[in-house]
Amino acid sequence: MKRISNAFVFASLVAALAGCATKPADDGQLVQARAAIAQAEADPNVTKYAPTELDRARKLLINAEGAAKEKGATNVNTSHYAYLATQTAHVAEQRAHEQVAGARLKAGEVERQKILLSARENETQQAQAVATQARNELQNAQAETAQAQQEAQRLAAQLENVQASQTDRGLVLTLDDVLFDTGRAELKSGAQRSLEQIAAFLSEHPERNVQIEGFTDNQGPDDYNIELSQKRADAVAMAIIRRGVDAQRVRAMGYGEEFPVASNDNSGSRQLNRRVEIIVSKDDKAIPARAGAGAP
Amino acid sequence: MITLSGIRNALWCVVAFGIVACAATPMPADKIAVAKSSVDRAEQAQAAQFAQVELTTARNKLAAAQSAAEHRDAELAARMADQADVDAQLAESTARAKQQEQLVTEMDASLRDLREEATRHSGAGATTPQPQTSSPQQ
Repeated sequence: MKRISNAFVFASLVAALAGCATKPADDGQLVQARAAIAQAEADPNVTKYAPTELDRARKLLINAEGAAKEKGATNVNTSHYAYLATQTAHVAEQRAHEQVAGARLKAGEVERQKILLSARENETQQAQAVATQARNELQNAQAETAQAQQEAQRLAAQLENVQASQTDRGLVLTLDDVLFDTGRAELKSGAQRSLEQIAAFLSEHPERNVQIEGFTDNQGPDDYNIELSQKRADAVAMAIIRRGVDAQRVRAMGYGEEFPVASNDNSGSRQLNRRVEIIVSKDDKAIPARAGAGAP
Repeated sequence: MITLSGIRNALWCVVAFGIVACAATPMPADKIAVAKSSVDRAEQAQAAQFAQVELTTARNKLAAAQSAAEHRDAELAARMADQADVDAQLAESTARAKQQEQLVTEMDASLRDLREEATRHSGAGATTPQPQTSSPQQ
C-alpha cells in the first residue's frame, strides 16, 4: 500500500515537472523568436542588406507557430523551429552589421583619398606661391640692377672726366686725375660741373650714403701719397657737402698707392691709378669695405 | 483461402513497408555535412577569436548530431545538425561583422590623424594659430 502510494507521488511529480519544463519553455522560445525577428525587422539596415536571411527567419517562425498549434508531441518541433528562427534573425542582423561596416570602410577610403588630394593640392599651391614669390623677387632684383645700370649710364653721360660703373659695393664714380694739378689737392674749375651733377644726384637719393676714396700712383713716398690721396678725397667730400649733401652721409679716406687699377709701369697706367672714387650705396645700407689689397 | 494474388499482394506490402521504413530512418548525412561545412566556414572567418561562444555552441551541436547519428536517432541528428548549421552561420557572420567593425574603428582613428596632419601642414604654410598664453584674470 505504502509502496503504491510512493510510486504514485513520484510519477505525478515527474509528470508535473515535465509539464512545467516543456510547455512554458516552448512558449518562451516562441516569444523569443518573435522578439528577435521584430528587432531585426525594426533595423532598416537588416531589411536593406539581409532581406534573404530575414525572410528565412520569418518562415522558420511560421513553422514554429504551426508546430505549436499541432496536437501531440510537437513541443520539440516548436522549440526547434523557434530556435532556428531566433538564430537566423541574429544572423540577419550580423550580416547587416558587416555590410554597414563595409560601406563605412568604402566611404572612409573615399574620404582618405579626398584628404590626401586636398593636402597635395595645398602643397602644390604653397609650392607655386613660393615659386611665384621667388620669380617676383628675381624680377625685382633684375629690374633694380637694370635700373641701377641705367642710372650709372645716365649719370656717366652727363659727367665729364668721370667714369661710372655699377659694382657690388654700389655705384662707383671715378674722377680722373686731370681734375687735380700734380701734387695738389684743390679741385680744378673743370670739376665743378661734374661735382654739381653728382651732388644733385645724391640730393635726389637722400637715403644713399657716399664714400670717397683717394688713390695715387706708386711714385713718391708712401706717407706723402697717403696724405695727398686723403686731401684729394676730403676736397671732393667738401665740394659735395658744400653743394647741399648732408655731411653725415659722406665719408672720405685716402689709400695712397694701395688698390691700383693699373700696373704703374708707364705714365698711362700711372695716370689711371691717380684717381678719386666716389662710391654711392645701393640703398640706405652701409658701403662694404674694400676686400683686401691687390692689383686687378 | 489463400490465393496466389493474395500472397503476391502481401509480399508487395512487405516490400513497400520495408522501403517506407528504410526511408523514414536513414541518418541525415547531408544535414550533418552542411552543418560541418558551416562550422568550417565559421572557423575560417576566425570565429574562434571573434565569436567564441557561438562557435562552441555550433561545435557541440555538431558533435551531438554525429553522436545521435551513431546511435541511429535520425530525428535528433537532423535537429542537432540544423541547429549546428544556424549556430555556425551566426558564429561566422558575427566574426565577420566584428572584424569589419574593428577595421572601421582603426580607419576612423587613421582618418582623424590624417586630417590633423593635413590641417597642421596647411596651417604651417599660412597662418599659425597663436598659442593662448594669457589665462583669463578672475
